[in-house]
Formats: sequence, C-alpha cells, structure tokens
Amino acid sequence: MPIKVLAFAGSPRRHGNSETLLDWVLASMGGETDVSVEKIALSEANINMCNGCNACEKLNRCIQRDGMDTVHDKIIEADCIVLASPIFCMGLAAQVKALVDRAQVFRSRKYVLKLPIVPPERRGKRFGIFLATAGQNWDHVFAAAIPSVKCFYHVIDIRDADIHYLMINNVDEKGAIERHPTAKNEADMLGKDVIAELKKRFSS
Amino acid sequence: MTVTVFGISGSPHRHGNTETLLDKFLEGAQEAGATVEKVVLKDLHYSPCRGCNACHKTGDCIVQDDAIVLYDTIMAADCIAVASPIYTMGITAELKGLIDRGQYLWAQKFILKTLYFTDEHIKKHKGIFVSTAGLGWDKVFDGAFPVMTALFNSVGFEYYDNIIANDMDRYGGIRQHPTALSEAYEKGQKVARVLAYLRESP
Repeated sequence: MPIKVLAFAGSPRRHGNSETLLDWVLASMGGETDVSVEKIALSEANINMCNGCNACEKLNRCIQRDGMDTVHDKIIEADCIVLASPIFCMGLAAQVKALVDRAQVFRSRKYVLKLPIVPPERRGKRFGIFLATAGQNWDHVFAAAIPSVKCFYHVIDIRDADIHYLMINNVDEKGAIERHPTAKNEADMLGKDVIAELKKRFSS
Repeated sequence: MTVTVFGISGSPHRHGNTETLLDKFLEGAQEAGATVEKVVLKDLHYSPCRGCNACHKTGDCIVQDDAIVLYDTIMAADCIAVASPIYTMGITAELKGLIDRGQYLWAQKFILKTLYFTDEHIKKHKGIFVSTAGLGWDKVFDGAFPVMTALFNSVGFEYYDNIIANDMDRYGGIRQHPTALSEAYEKGQKVARVLAYLRESP
C-alpha cells in the first residue's frame, strides 16, 4: 500500500508563492518510492463555510452536501495531510479557514460522540505539514494562524508532535519565493524527511 | 449629528451567543444616544479575496459586491463592533472573508499612498471586537486579536476594546453568564458617550 499524501493548495491565487512551496514539497515526496500524492486547490473544491448548526453533534455528518463530502473521506484515508495557505491580514486565507471550520464534524465525532477518527492501528501514524507564505517580513506574522492549524490537525487525529511547519515570510509578489535563498531546499528536505519518518512509523 | 455605531455579526448562527452579546452592546450604545445599525454577514453576498492584487495598481477592488458597500458603511461610522464566535481557534470564515477583502484599502495606504488617517481621525473612530468561545481556555481568543488589529488598522479605527466571553459550553450559553451581557451594555453606553464627547472637543 503506498503512502497517501493529501495536499490542499489554499490560496485563491493559483501557482503563487504558497502553492509553489507546496509543489516543491509534493515533488520531493512524490519522488520517493511507494508514495501517492493528491493535490486539491481549495479555490476549485466547492467547500462551503460551516453553518454553525451543530447538527454534526447528533448526525455524525455534516448536513451540507458539497465538495467536503469527498474531502472528508480523503482526510480520513490520508497518511499525510499538507495544508498550504498564504497569510492574509495576519491569519489563514478565508478559503482555508472555511476548510478548517468544516472539520467541526471530526471534532463532534471525537469529543461529543466519542467515536474514532481513524482505525486504532493507524493512530500515531499520520503526519501533518503546514506551509505558509507571507508578504510581511515580521517573524510573528504566522503566529495567529498556528492555533487554528493545530486545532484542525488535532481533530483529524494528527498529533501536535507530528505536525511539521515550513513558513516563509517576506515573499509578496507572485514568484517571489523562487528568489528565496533557502525555501526550495527546505521544502525538498521536509518532503523527504516526512516520508522517511512515515515509513519508519509504518514498519515499527 | 449623532454618533453612529455599526455592528457586524459574523456568526452563521442567528441569535446565538455572539450576536446576543453584540445586540446588548448596541442596545447600550442606542440608549446613550447613538444611531445604531447592524448587518448579519451570512445574509450578504460577497466572495472572499481572490488574491489577484489588481488593487495594488488601482486602489479599487475589481469584485464589486456587498463587501465594498459594507466597507463604505464601516468608513462612515464612528464606531464599529465586529462580532464573531471563535471557530477552530480563530474568527469565522465569513468574517475572515470580509476582512481579507479590505486589501484594497491596504493597497491605498501602503502602495499607492492615497489613503492616510491622522491620529486625530483614529482617536475619533473606535473599533470593538465582540466574541464568544465554547472553550474555557484563556488563550482561546489569541488567534483572533491580530486579525482584528489588521482590520481596524486598515479602516483607520482605534482598536478600543474587546467584549469577549469564553467557557460558553460550561455556562450553557451567554444568558447564563453572570456578567457578560451587562458589561456589553455598559460598554455600549460608554463608547457612545466617549465618542459624543470627542466629536465636540476641538
């Protein structure tokens, strides 16, 4: 069984900085043996916002029928979930926040209905990667996005210690990341490292 | 002219904890003589920012929808009370979608340099964040504050106050909270009076 990597390109701007960073990570992962990679562009994924209706606390599913129907199953099946977002106004892009909020169904399953997210044999064998780019050069420009990211991974049964981060600031105009001195190398290494760690987890 | 207070409800859930808290604040402001208006974001039609950066050249957003009208209303108010529950440790996607659309103002300020707010202007325009969270953690609002700072900065409002209450799940809703609603009402009265005073001062 190949390792399944599911990636979300969260920027409304296709092939901009955060998606380029994502593509580098995915290329490095896809270059390893027994890895299948799927990338979903959120701008084309038809994922509505959470209604806040709390129906999932009773139904164990969302009452909205949209792109999340298939994305929900893919999130469960994946071994590694990569989330890429630009920072807009100090936070995740609204499109990414919509996906993250729709993970409420997993939170209800886990904490209200007390049901498992993944089968017991897969617990502790799931990884997350958060990729972000920001135009501002402040070090703290990513700080406000991280709690939402941790929360997202937590409810889909990816442990805090198993989330990897690569966040590049000071890249604004389209293509700026191509000129960044270290981003491509870091992305490359991150992809390889995470696949190596996953393989180690699977064999132990 | 009376002080105008504009409430923006960013919750998809009508008349829930956050909107109730916002309503109390607006009620207080009205009682103190302000003209009060409220919009509910879920009833409006706007798309999130496309990140096209066209506004970096023109200063205008190429997407003309309710978000632009809303920003005009914001800019004309003396006080804005922006309300969102905490979802997944941040503001709702509805409100984030609106805030991201303010990029054209950022472009006017920092790229085109056609928009500038004096300290005097900022002092006379007050921004208030209204929020509730189910969880009882102290840090549950921390991811929201920097985003609200970004919003208030871009529209030339002073980030004046927070009206926030956590631990809603344990209280069983805002109406069971011992102080939140009465504090919101008092803060509404207070900000209306402060702004009326600032208007008259030279």
